[in-house]
Parts: sequence; structure tokens; C-alpha cells
Amino acid sequence: MAKKTNGVSRRSFMAGVATTGAVAAAGCTSNTGTETASGLSGNIDISGSSTVFPLAVAMRGEFTAEEMHPNVDISINSTGSGGGFTNYFCTGDTDFNNASRPISETEQEQCTNNDVTPVELKVATDALTVVVNNDASWFGEDGEECITVEDLAEVWAADSKPTTWSDVNSDWPDEEIQLYGPTDASGTFDYFHEEILGEETGHRTDYQSTEQDNQIINGVANSEYAIGYMGFAYYSENTDRVTALGIDNGDGCVKPTLETASSGEYQPLSRPLFTYPARSALAEDHVAEFARFWLENSTNKAIVADEVGYVPNTEAERDENLDRLDSAIEAESE
Amino acid sequence: MSDTDEFGRVSRRVGQLFRGVLLASTLAGILTLAVLLVYVANDAFRPLTADPGWHLTFLLTFVLPTLGVGWWSYQRSYGTLTTGLLGIMLPTIAALYAGGLAALFIDVIPTLVWLSFVVAFAIPVGVVVALDRTERDIPFLAEITAVLAVTAGSLLFVPDLVQGLPTVPADWMVLVLTIGIPEALLLGRWTRGRWGRRAGLTTGAGIVVGSAVAGVLGTVTGVGAIPGVALALFAGVPTALYLSVVAIERPERRAGLLLPAVIVGGALVGELFVGALGFAGPESWVDWGFLTSTVQRGADPGAVGIYSGIVGTILLMFTVAAIAIPAGVGAAVYLEEYAPDTTVTRIIDVNISNLAGVPSVVYGLLGLGLFVRYGGAQTGTLLVGGATLALLVFPIVIISAREAIRAVPDSARQASYGMGATRWQTVKNVVLPRAFPGILTGTILALSRAIGETAPLLVIGAAQVFGVPDSWNSTVGAMPLQLYVWASTYASPAFYTTVLAAGIVVLLTAMLSMNSIAIYVRNHYEQR
Repeated sequence: MAKKTNGVSRRSFMAGVATTGAVAAAGCTSNTGTETASGLSGNIDISGSSTVFPLAVAMRGEFTAEEMHPNVDISINSTGSGGGFTNYFCTGDTDFNNASRPISETEQEQCTNNDVTPVELKVATDALTVVVNNDASWFGEDGEECITVEDLAEVWAADSKPTTWSDVNSDWPDEEIQLYGPTDASGTFDYFHEEILGEETGHRTDYQSTEQDNQIINGVANSEYAIGYMGFAYYSENTDRVTALGIDNGDGCVKPTLETASSGEYQPLSRPLFTYPARSALAEDHVAEFARFWLENSTNKAIVADEVGYVPNTEAERDENLDRLDSAIEAESE
Repeated sequence: MSDTDEFGRVSRRVGQLFRGVLLASTLAGILTLAVLLVYVANDAFRPLTADPGWHLTFLLTFVLPTLGVGWWSYQRSYGTLTTGLLGIMLPTIAALYAGGLAALFIDVIPTLVWLSFVVAFAIPVGVVVALDRTERDIPFLAEITAVLAVTAGSLLFVPDLVQGLPTVPADWMVLVLTIGIPEALLLGRWTRGRWGRRAGLTTGAGIVVGSAVAGVLGTVTGVGAIPGVALALFAGVPTALYLSVVAIERPERRAGLLLPAVIVGGALVGELFVGALGFAGPESWVDWGFLTSTVQRGADPGAVGIYSGIVGTILLMFTVAAIAIPAGVGAAVYLEEYAPDTTVTRIIDVNISNLAGVPSVVYGLLGLGLFVRYGGAQTGTLLVGGATLALLVFPIVIISAREAIRAVPDSARQASYGMGATRWQTVKNVVLPRAFPGILTGTILALSRAIGETAPLLVIGAAQVFGVPDSWNSTVGAMPLQLYVWASTYASPAFYTTVLAAGIVVLLTAMLSMNSIAIYVRNHYEQR
């Protein structure tokens, strides 16, 4: 607009320049750089087990809190342990993979082929929980509901495939069984398969499978003749909506609780939970710091047990895993 | 009855039955939707938790005056009512966008980085303008080489140079400089053409000074400098301009402005009264905390918010627009204006129409295969998500842009050719300006389809817990994804009737605000 024909008088031009200059001077600050002065920043991508998912979300919340590291951006995807290893972690897409079982040999191989070195860190212990509807009365007295490992195996085995409860035990109702469980990409599936059914027996496939454990809760809560299983954390959030069965391993009935899982009484379904950082990702400070933070807080009862619902690590376990983490970080920085 | 009475009579029963069935099907669809929306809105806003006194106060100060003035304007003329409605819609929707933009500058793009890139792009633009103005005849090849060289050099060195300056403008100053001044120049020119030189100068100066004042006020009042300037530039300026246009050019519709005045005034007075009388408002789930909290999971739905989703959606929309609009409009112009009518182009025509109807999950898989597995990009990043959604809307953009171009009468083209214009000049000076509103409408509608997509984002591996992206390569989330996650991964009754409903309201508001712009642009230009 500043054409010669404007005819702005010299005085108003000077006034304009002076005003602009004053405003500009008032609006300037010294350059502190675009990076925040202190604290870690960067992205962390996490894939893997839906069982570990709530624990990872809780750790994310603590780690990125305003007074901790608000500039670290953590994304978490619940993909199942196996789904996470195969599709995300071992292809180099994510920095961590959570798992509710140890990494398998084929997955290890896939990772190695892609130059990804997983570092195994145990973060908690879970009591894999079998749930039924609150109205299911045939498992025993209120509060004493129980199932034997043999019966449980028969319900879920591919070769027996009972359609009604009376097929499993003639005292049970002649009603169709509704089955809810995790998909075969899930570590929970793998663990349940191995511990309850055994290597040789197949897990039946005609059940409602989902990677969203809450949908198992919803399915069981809405159907009187349903049974399902998932990680203890999801049960502990919904204790009033579904009933957890005690497991009779031959030595009497044991209910899944944090106490029975940590003491080892709850057999065979108490199991370790892991997270696997990629060794190369640990070279970045914010990733290493998050891994260390997670392990240091794996003994924190308030987060692990009260907030999420798993059994915290013992101090010896924590120290052992911290040593493993530190040596991995050291190996990477060399 | 005798035979003669029957003659010439036709039974109307079938016709009436048919009409009844049509009415029933219409009502069934509309009523179901209405019930659903009311149900969701009730969960989200919880109007029944408010004090009856609160409802009564707002009924008296806000609802009744608004209805009364609305009815009065409608009686005066339909134009008066629409003027009033636009007077309240414009600032509301503009404020939504200003808020979104402010969020970007606060959380994603540091203002200094933005400034450095604006400077880096301004230099080549300045060179182009200067070359265009010179009297000397420069060969085209030399010109384009010079421009490319300047662009490359500028992008390579200027951002670092600007970011390394010892003294830099404050946040609000950057926005005034980079957005306020261009806006002042543009709108100043526009008002000069309409109302003369003095009005142009006043507008320009008003925009710059006003936005600077808003920046200072924002800092002082605690709103923040960036939101202050953004609100002034994107909501204040358009509103003021609209009011001026109505006041100066449409004296017969001036009365319509009473409606926004009553709405705003009634809300303020109502707020004042309920504050003074101590009536509690509804405990709405859609509140400031919900819009600005980045917490996505927890036992307490009150602490949970959709902020990451909002920013993710805005960034995705920018990415989609940046990729799909140039490519889609370019393809449309080529197919309409240049392409010969052969079998090949007809096959392409048919395929584009079909592509627009391909389910979105297929585009998600295409994006996964093309960008992630083949292209080696990381899963779930902003760039991959944006590019995948761009693929999804690409055919829609082409189709709507082609329709807009086709609607330009051939006589206009012929007249242009008759004046001796080349095809390029015709496209540039005749076709594109006349087709522009139509292209804009179609593009906005395409983007508002992309805003609600979840499936492609899930397929490309977008995370279920996500933060605010800070680069092309950080994982992104979006509002519909957030809703999906609240409904499935964190599924619990505590979420269904609380933040999930609130999230639906926010997503629908964003989508409707985009659609309303598209509808306004269409209606405005249809009237010409």
C-alpha cells in the first residue's frame, strides 16, 4: 500500500515509524532457543500386550507428569504380545514391546534379522484370571466359586469342545457355554494355552476373541452362562461386575488375589509380565530414563498394585533387572 | 352401486398407503437420529444437574429474548434473520478455529520456527513479485532458475539464521508480523476497493494495532498472548468486518444485528444473575478441563480430556489438505480442461468415481502397504496418517472439483479464447476464479469426511494412548480414534455416559463447523 501517491505527510510518517518501532521493541525478547531449557524430550513408541497395557499407561502418566518429563511424548498401542513383536517391535517401528510371556524363538529370530536386540525386563507379576457371570451358581457357594484345572482345560480344549456346561460336568446346567478370551496374538492366550491345556492340546477357536480385555468383561457380565479369562488388572477394575473363579490345582481352591499371586500359591496361572526395550533405542536418554523409571517403580505398590492391579516386583527382582538394563545401555553406548 | 357409478373412479387407497409408508420411513430415520443425538447431548451436558433457578434465569434472560428477537427479525424479512444468524455463527465458528490455531502455536510449532520459515518463504515470493514487476524482458528459463535457486538457498540458510538471532520477537509479535500484517494488507486492499482509501488504511492499521493490543491484553489477563492474538486475527477481525459490511452496505438489514446482540447480552446478563444469586449451572462433561486435558485414561472421568485428539485432528487435517487439495484440484483441471476424450480417460473417469466409494479400511491397508511396509515409514506417524487420509479423500476432491469446473459455462471459455487468450490464460483468469467457490465447498466436505475416519488410522497402527505430535514422525491420534479407544480399550460404564458422550459432541461440533462453512460458501456464491 505504501505507494508514492499516498500523500502521507512527513509528520504522520515519522509518527508511524516511531510507533511501529516502539511496539516492535516492546515485543522483542532475547532468544532462549526453541528447545526447552531443561528436561528430556522426544518420542517413545510402545506396542504389545494388552495385559501390560494398563501398567504402561500408568507409568506413562507418572513419567510425563508436569514435574517429571512433560516433553517426552509416549504412545502406547495395545496389540497383543505376539502381534506387537511381529508387526511393530521386531520390524523396528516401536521402542518397547510389552509381553505377558517371554519372547519366543521365532520372534527373537525375526528381531535379530532386523538388527533389533530385545532386552528382557520383568516389570510385574500377574494372576491370569478366569471370570464367570455373577449369577453363575454351579461353581460353588458365593465367594467360594472354584474350578479344577482339568475342568478348565476341558472347557477350552479344541478336541473336547463342549457346547453345554453339562458336557463338562453332569451336575452343571444344560446350557450353552459362551466363551470369551484374548486372540491368539495375545501373550495371555499363549500362557493360558501352555499352562492349562499343555503343548499337545489345541486351544479351541470357536470363542469370541478380542484384544480389548474390557470386551471380555462386558461379554461375561452380560451373559449368565459365559466364561472368559484375562489379566488380573482388568478384573480388579470390575470386581462387582464379574466373579473370579478360584483355581484348584489338586491342592485345594485358590482365588486370584495379589497375595496368592506373589506368594506363588495361585498356580499355575500366576505369571511374570515383561517389557522389552530395543537395545538401540536405549542409546537415547529419554528412552533409557523411561526404562529405568519403570523398573525403579516396579516395586511401587501404589502404582502397580493399587492403581493397576498387578503384583509389584520384589527389591531383589528390581535390582537384578536394573543391572540387566544398565549393562544393555552400556553395551549400546560402546 | 350401479356400473355407471364405478366408471371413471380410481381407487386412491394404494396412493394413500404409499404416502403413509413414505412418511413412516422418513420419520423412523429422523426420529431415531434425533433421539440418539438428544440422548448423547443429555449425557454430555447434563442439563438436569443444574439448579432450576439457573434454567429459569437463562430462560428469561437468554432463551425468550433470543426467540422473540428471532421471530421479530423473521417477520421483518428473511434476510434480516439470516444476517442476524450469521452475525452470531461467524464469531462462534471463527473462535473455534482461532482456538485450534492457538493450540498449534502453543504446543506444536514454536513461534520462532514458524517465523523463520515464513521469512524463508517470503524471500522467494518477494523475488517473484519483483521479477514480475520489472520492465525488462527476462527469458522464462532464466526466471525460473533464479526463483528455484533463491528458494533453495533461502530454505537452506534462512531458518537457521533467524533461529540463531540473539534477539527475537515475542510470541504475540511473531503472530502479528507473520499473520497480522499479511491479513492487514489483504483486507486493507479489499476495503479500499469497496469504501475508499481512508477505509483501507483504517482497516490495515486497525488489524495490526488491534492484534498487538490483544496480544498485550492476553498476557496481562492470563488468557495468554498467543490465544489473544489468534482470537483477534481470526475471530475479531472477520466479525468486525462483517458488522461493517452490514452497517454500511445493507441498511435495510441492520436490524438483524439485534439478534447477536441479544444472544451475547442475554448470556452475559444470565451469567451475572446466576453468579449473584448462587444458582449452580449444569455439571457438563464438555468443559474447559475436558477440552484442554491430555490425560486419556484413569479411574476418574473428570480428569480425562480430548486435547491430544483435537490437536492430532487439526494436524491431520492440515496434512491431508496440503497433500490432497493440490493433487486433486490439479487432476480435476487436467481432466476437465486438457485431457482428450479417449477410451483411456473414460476408464479413468469411471475408476475415480468408484474409488470415492471404496471403504476406508481399504485405504488404510493401502497406506500401510504403500507407506509403512514398502516406503519404510514408521507406523502411525502424522505423515503416514495424513497421507493415508489424503488418499481417501483424493477421489472426492477430484470429483467435486471437476463438477465445479464443469459448471463454468462454456461461453465464458469461448469468450476468453475469442479475446485471443491462450488455454493457460483462460484456465487461470476465467475457469479457476469462477470454479473456486465450488472447489472450496467440495474440498471442505471431503475434509469433513476425513475428520471422522477411524479405520484407516487403526490400520496404519496409530497408538491407543497418544500425545501431541511435535514432528512429522511422531505418532498421532485423532478425535474419532480417541472415541473408539474410550469405547473399547478403556471400556467401562464410567466412560460410556461421560467423556465418550462429551467427545462425540466435540467431534460433531468440529465437523458441523466445517460443513457450515462449506454450506455458507455455496449459498453465498449461488446467489450471485
